[in-house]
Amino acid sequence: MEFWTSFAGQFVLRGLPGAVPQNYDTLVATAVEAERLGFDGVVASEHHFEYNRFLPFPLQALGAAAAATSKIRLITGAMLLPLYDPIRAAEAAATVDILSGGRVTLGLGMGYRPMEFDGIGTAKNTRGARLSEQMEIIRLATSQERFSFQGKHYEYKDQQLSPRPLQRPIDMWFCGGTSRVGAQRAAAGGFDYWLANSDYDRTKEIVDIYLGLAREAGRPAERLRYALFRDVFVGDTLAEARDARDWFLEVYYNEHIRCYGYLMDDKGEPLFNPPFDHPAYVAFVDSLLCGTPDMVVTELKRFEQLGVHSITVPPVQLELFSNKVLPEFRK
Amino acid sequence: MKVGLSWDLGGDEPAATQWHRVIGEIERGDALGFDSAWVAEGKTGQAGCAQPAVFMTFAARRTKSIHCRALARSVAGEFPVRLAEEITLLDQFSHGRGGVAYAPASRQKVDPLMVHETIEFIRGAWATNEVRYRGKYVRFPTHTPDDAPAGLSYPAWTGEYLPQWEWGATRTTADFLALTPKPVSTHLPVYVAIDDDETLEWAARNGVSPYAGVNLTTAEAIERLARYRAIADGCGRHSYEVEAVLERNVAIDGASDAHTFGGSAHDITCAIRAAAAATRIGHFVWRYRDAAPNDLERFANEVQTRLQA
Repeated sequence: MEFWTSFAGQFVLRGLPGAVPQNYDTLVATAVEAERLGFDGVVASEHHFEYNRFLPFPLQALGAAAAATSKIRLITGAMLLPLYDPIRAAEAAATVDILSGGRVTLGLGMGYRPMEFDGIGTAKNTRGARLSEQMEIIRLATSQERFSFQGKHYEYKDQQLSPRPLQRPIDMWFCGGTSRVGAQRAAAGGFDYWLANSDYDRTKEIVDIYLGLAREAGRPAERLRYALFRDVFVGDTLAEARDARDWFLEVYYNEHIRCYGYLMDDKGEPLFNPPFDHPAYVAFVDSLLCGTPDMVVTELKRFEQLGVHSITVPPVQLELFSNKVLPEFRK
Repeated sequence: MKVGLSWDLGGDEPAATQWHRVIGEIERGDALGFDSAWVAEGKTGQAGCAQPAVFMTFAARRTKSIHCRALARSVAGEFPVRLAEEITLLDQFSHGRGGVAYAPASRQKVDPLMVHETIEFIRGAWATNEVRYRGKYVRFPTHTPDDAPAGLSYPAWTGEYLPQWEWGATRTTADFLALTPKPVSTHLPVYVAIDDDETLEWAARNGVSPYAGVNLTTAEAIERLARYRAIADGCGRHSYEVEAVLERNVAIDGASDAHTFGGSAHDITCAIRAAAAATRIGHFVWRYRDAAPNDLERFANEVQTRLQA
């Protein structure tokens, strides 16, 4: 099982003010440090118009990280593809792929914040269908000399991507939350599936659905990969691990996850700024994994046995994670 | 006088080979004291650089001082917000060394107004906090109504303020939005090619720096830069508000032609000085290709020195 980490420095954390250029230096330093510590990949995300100056173009950040690293995979997760023209996105991916020597992986999500669609100028209500079409377009554009595509939202005839990436096709994942709908879209397109934070039971349930639907769709389920964002907090005691989690909630998730429509209520409607004790937010907090190194290793081994390709952890305890957890998966 | 280097990537050579050689040349240019490096957008051949801002962000992290600029950037088929964001990130990742020159409308086969509106929106959004824009081609945010003022407009203070994390379900977007992050410098260098008469006049009147590219003959470039300056002077705009750029081929010890300054270092220096006197250019850019191995050093030691002396 591979271990990936999110980048530090993609935005200014609440309570830890700092200048953006220094933050972006931290971002590049995260890639260097993660490579040194033995992580397999480093993951950049995307948001727009957020007051904390969130990174708006993850591939460009990966270009910066590519200049300072040589081995580590450079990953977007999630890059909000419906906010792009798919060919422009493929061009950017190819550019970084060439510069990095073929180290780019695309984790592609549909986005959820209304102001992002309104600000950039694409329709929110068609984002799911467009994401599926866009991913197919990128797969075709990066694997074939020339390609044509006829969909409901996009149409190309005898097009050629310039430049061409080193990877043919470029490595690509569908980032689709932890819902049946997400699993369905990933399976229908035959895309590898990257799940959001969820515990083992929920992960297994969704993976089973995903693989079953892929078989039904005639996709080669045995070749499909699945990955997981799994926010892990390690401490010498469980209380220490929970302290690390609580700090991360305070400076980041209490607002980032809770306030902008990421969470859904039981009717599937997005939640904006619900109370802290709302069941959807409580469930999210409970999905974060806290434990001593032994507890964390034991839990993550279950995911390894489930066949999970990679786990993405937050960038807050990289040294500790590298020393206490990673060695157990490298034996 | 500032001096820079520019590249138009492409052709049949594998991109990985060509691009890393150019990155090496940019690094040498940085070490030799060139002021700027420009890589042009191109979408032909396997080595065409479709995303020069991304390319230059890589270059920026390999260099210390040289300014890293995206050249001949198209606006056609692009989201204006993304064009603003990519140059912002280039500027941030390079610690204030970013910049962009937009391609002429005629080369993009679009109405010049699309180029003008895009540049106006980008500069306005960089320079202010919440903003909206209503144009023929650019509308930001998308739901900006038809009766909003033309161009940039700004919110009035209503006595109410809610941070965006408290907007809730009833106000998931806003009539005015702020682009974040912002560039290091508010007035980040923005140039536009002045091949088209409409754009030349618009740029001169609006304080947008002109870029006379190597595709123009030297006579055309000087005439257009001089015309730009005359219009700008007529509007009461000072030459220090902008930076005019002339791009030429350079052939050290070679022949001059309509697009090339050739001859000895003295000859090349005189050609640049003559162009500057006629146009008030502040930046000369060498379209770098097919140069001898030590030409960069010779230019830095012999031409650049004479330009300052």
